[in-house]
Amino acid sequence: MTDVLSFDNVTVTARMSGRRIDVLRDISFSLGQGDIVGLVGESGAGKSMIGRVISGLLPDNFSVSAGKVSFDGKNLLALGKSERRALLGRRIAFIPQEPLSALNPVRTIGSQFSEHLRHIGIERSRHRALMIERLTQVQLRNAEEALQRFPHELSGGQCQRVLIAMAFAGEPALVVADEPTTALDVMTQAHIVRLIAEQQKQHGTALLFITHDLRLAGHVCRNVGVMYAGDMVEFGPAASVLKAPSHPYTKSLLAAIPELTGPRRVLPALADHMPGLGTFAGLGGCRFSPRCATKDPSCIATRLPPRMVGAGHWVRCAERCEAAGNAQLGDLISLPASVADAPAAVAFDKVRLSYHASRGFLGLRRSRFDAVKSATFSVQEGEILGIVGESGSGKTSIGRLIVGLERPSAGMIRIHGQERTTGAVHLTHRDTQLIFQDPQSALNPRRSVMRLLTQALEVGESYVPESERRPVAEALLRDTGLPPDCLERFSSQLSGGQRQRVNIGRALGAKPKLIVADEIVSGLDVSVQAHILNCLLDLNRKHRLTMVFISHDLAVVRYLCSRILMMHAGEIVEEGPTEAVFSNPQHPYTKALLDAVPPDNADRPWPPVLATDSAMSALR
Amino acid sequence: MFKSLINVAARRLAGAIPTVLLLSMVVFIVLRALPADPLALLLPPNATQADAEAVRKALGLDRSIVIQYLIWLRDALSGDLGNSIAFREPVTRLLANSLPATLELSFVGLGLALLISIPGGLLLYGARGTILENILDVLVVCMLSIPSFLWAIFLLLGFGVMLGWLPFSGRVESGIVIPDGTGFLLIDYLVTMQWGYWQNALSHLILPAMALALGFSPLVIRVLRSSLLESSDDHYVTVARQRGLSERQIILAHMLRNSVLPTITLIGAQFGFLFGGTLLVETIFSYPGIGNLMVQAVRNHDLPVIQGVALVFCVTTLAINTVVDILYVVLNPKLRRA
Amino acid sequence: MSSSIPSSAALKRERPPSATAEALRQAIRSPRVVIGGAIVLAMVICAVFAPQIAPNDPAEQDLLNMLLPPMWAEGGSIDYPFGTDSLGRCILSQMIFGARVALFVGFVAAIGATLLGTTLALISGYFGGWIDRVISHLVDLWMSLPPVVLSVTLMVGFGTGVGNVILSIVLVDWTRFCRVVRSEVMVVARKDFVSAAKLLGFGNVRIILREILPSVAPLIITLFTLQVGIGIIVEAILSFVGLSVPAGVPAWGQMIAQARNYMYQAPWGIILPIIAMFITVLGFNLLGEGLRVTLDPRLRKRNI
Repeated sequence: MTDVLSFDNVTVTARMSGRRIDVLRDISFSLGQGDIVGLVGESGAGKSMIGRVISGLLPDNFSVSAGKVSFDGKNLLALGKSERRALLGRRIAFIPQEPLSALNPVRTIGSQFSEHLRHIGIERSRHRALMIERLTQVQLRNAEEALQRFPHELSGGQCQRVLIAMAFAGEPALVVADEPTTALDVMTQAHIVRLIAEQQKQHGTALLFITHDLRLAGHVCRNVGVMYAGDMVEFGPAASVLKAPSHPYTKSLLAAIPELTGPRRVLPALADHMPGLGTFAGLGGCRFSPRCATKDPSCIATRLPPRMVGAGHWVRCAERCEAAGNAQLGDLISLPASVADAPAAVAFDKVRLSYHASRGFLGLRRSRFDAVKSATFSVQEGEILGIVGESGSGKTSIGRLIVGLERPSAGMIRIHGQERTTGAVHLTHRDTQLIFQDPQSALNPRRSVMRLLTQALEVGESYVPESERRPVAEALLRDTGLPPDCLERFSSQLSGGQRQRVNIGRALGAKPKLIVADEIVSGLDVSVQAHILNCLLDLNRKHRLTMVFISHDLAVVRYLCSRILMMHAGEIVEEGPTEAVFSNPQHPYTKALLDAVPPDNADRPWPPVLATDSAMSALR
Repeated sequence: MFKSLINVAARRLAGAIPTVLLLSMVVFIVLRALPADPLALLLPPNATQADAEAVRKALGLDRSIVIQYLIWLRDALSGDLGNSIAFREPVTRLLANSLPATLELSFVGLGLALLISIPGGLLLYGARGTILENILDVLVVCMLSIPSFLWAIFLLLGFGVMLGWLPFSGRVESGIVIPDGTGFLLIDYLVTMQWGYWQNALSHLILPAMALALGFSPLVIRVLRSSLLESSDDHYVTVARQRGLSERQIILAHMLRNSVLPTITLIGAQFGFLFGGTLLVETIFSYPGIGNLMVQAVRNHDLPVIQGVALVFCVTTLAINTVVDILYVVLNPKLRRA
Repeated sequence: MSSSIPSSAALKRERPPSATAEALRQAIRSPRVVIGGAIVLAMVICAVFAPQIAPNDPAEQDLLNMLLPPMWAEGGSIDYPFGTDSLGRCILSQMIFGARVALFVGFVAAIGATLLGTTLALISGYFGGWIDRVISHLVDLWMSLPPVVLSVTLMVGFGTGVGNVILSIVLVDWTRFCRVVRSEVMVVARKDFVSAAKLLGFGNVRIILREILPSVAPLIITLFTLQVGIGIIVEAILSFVGLSVPAGVPAWGQMIAQARNYMYQAPWGIILPIIAMFITVLGFNLLGEGLRVTLDPRLRKRNI
């Protein structure tokens, strides 16, 4: 039986600033009929680039310089543009990431679906019936009504269902899902993954599943390929690759992912980060070797061919290096201890935060939206409290209430014993700092790292004249693990992880007693995430820093926090020590959330047969 | 959707009334309070002492500025905007005769501008990355540097005088009867099926309308092109390409629709620019509209006319802005459920 | 957490830091900036050194040589390189001296409009709330009248004179500045680094001056440059209508208006000042456009 898709030593080269850079090197893998293969790797590893090779939509200056891509026996690369376009949508379909922005906002769902059906050759009279049938198949409620809606009127999950319906409408032989659930909430992710799996089985389609989430790939895919800096460093059956990884990178990647169960150990964090395109030229051999524990000189110079290590499982690494990367088990973590008999650092008492919007004729009617309904909790000095919830749960609002960027509409907030009054925002409490989620927006692009770190010294009681600021900046660099030579750089020259560290450093510069970290590791690569989490643990231990850690990622929260709050739709639904809540959840929402996370162990069944859609919506 | 449309219209209307009042107040103060001797601006040169006294009484020039304004307002609300000093006619009649001409000219000018700029913007976008783009870009910058009144002079000298292809004075050839109707000649002649006269009116409109259009087009070309460039990078466009749609299909069926919105916003925001261009364009082409009227009034120190024309410009611009706002809500699905 | 590879190699990115020196270097590489800047410089030199450059006194009337054609045409003379107008005044000299009025009005009015518009935009965009509503209503009110109509009306009230022209341009065009800069200010003010500055105890004035103003500075520079060109055009329009400078002072708009009466016999009288105006405004537009592209990182040619 011919493979549906096969890559044979495909190399993609880019012409950048006069140089030729191999963006993808010698990529080889294949997909049989009905097969599911996962491409995993951190951002920038090249997984999406493989998708672009298939669609033929490479950026300018990029071209396939070697190798063959066959689809259903045909050489995909030899096809002309219009021939390729004839395949797309019909025989090869894509499920994109960020579903909310993947549809034209000014056209209805129905008109775009219809346009797609026209493209794949279905006559117009059959469109309506077919669309309703397909949308019902993907469990989109009120399918008929949905046709008249615009994308912004649907949720992310609903938009993704529409896109999945469109992808499978042409009965394609191959579907490429490019990070289809990254932008979605954990529970929606579970639904969507199950949906894709069902459709795939039903139509017998081959599925190429691209994701950065190794655990997810382990549950969904039969075979998994691990990408690093444009190379495929390991490929094999999912169980084999994830339980007995051979490549040092795969090993370190797996080790750095925090677990939801089992003993808590320090996450081993690899130094540095994956090289960017600009540095590929200098790395002729194995691109992982600078970070590898073995540092064999031959690794740096020569590229190794794939070596079989099991049934259908190969790795690009020398046999002698196999022992490398067998990370030492980290030390057990002790829970951050709280200072006994200290007043609560944070005390919330029936706090409500409401927004008002004008609606109706001439804007005369006012409606109230409660971001936080009635929150009562406290944070002890020295502890790390986790606040978990999905988007819209109110967790960010709580963070902003703590630091004073928002004023409560009702109720009382005490920070370190002092009361925060309702009324106009008046920020004089520098001892509570917030680390923002998006480092792009959180760092002034016109300030150098030096000026960012020492920003707290420019005003107020801690004012220090400019000439004396450098030692402070250097101390902050050490505290956050930034390299010493980056003081003169600007945020546009830093990697995501480094920007986040500058973010932390700036907050530390104000010598706070309490830090709120709002989703600061979401969107970061796994190894960088591990670094930052360890950094936070260090700071908490060294400086007795109280922390409130806001996240939607349960495993991360478990790693860091001794106590957690679960939030849903503006309310705290459950509260308690982390282990207790996770092992014995009381509230149905907590239970559902825990069920929806891909378990650490790839053998456990997932996605679970979840409660039906209507039960889910009852919780919203 | 209709609820939100009525909402928008009502809100606009509610806001328009104080705006017109305030603006009329500003204009009034500028023209009455600032000049050293307003009386001189309100009397013909050969006025007698008795005339001067009568005017002083009628307009309350010996009383406070507030009372003067209220007198003017009271008269204006009952349809009396005073009499033109130069023409000795009620201002309202002068305005009624010339406003349709200017509106007709502006709309034809806007239409021509769209005819030029939409293909122009598409062309500029399609040429991206090529040398043609640079050439067209420079062309657009050059066009931006030529205000409509200069275009008017060029067109008049070139097509009017030197080539003699088109007439360059008035609305129709002298001797042709202007019918009583809407005041829009293109409509009136169409309705009465007087093709000869219709053609004549059109040929008189072309040069001045072209002048307005050429002054306005580069702005629209710019906005259209930059919004097309931006939406080319949008996620949904990439996804549409992945579905196999051709570039042409994507531009026509997707990107253009999204680019309509910022273009309409620009037209609304800059309509005043086009409209104000009629002042000089009409003067240069001796076209009898309110722009021409205003320039003459300025030369004649004819205060009541200046005031009346300013008011009319203001009301018209507000009306157009309202229409644009409504159009924007109609076309932007995100605003439809208010 | 140290690594064996020097971080500077690993950190190498394509784009250089956004320091002013770097921005200027980029700017010089743009042909638009160079050409536009050259034109502007030439015009400034013309204006400053007008008495030295002009062949004749622009006000001097030579009634024996009225409506003389330019020197390259039949009947022209070297004494009057571009010919004379209906009162025998040298056209070239008038054009050169006209540059003085044009540039003076353009620059000063642009400075005024920039200061007024930007200040209100910063206040309005940063504070929001009722201040924003009041200022926005004011801007909307002001923009309900077509700009030309408003400036003509103001000039009727003020009376002629260069100072009044500048005043009326400032009073009309500040609204455009305010509107455009305000949207940009609003975008920047919503960014997290502004909230971060507040958390560090920065006062409002400090935030506006240190965090927000530098971010909108490129936009302001571009708008300023374009505004000079607009000011020149408005001055020409006003002098065409007779509301600008007194009759004796040479101004391009006036030249055009007067030459219009003799357009058919002596077209050069109207064409030449038009060309002067066009080239000057073009220079400012090129410069402004070039600056906008170089100073706004989003518009730079993408590498990948």
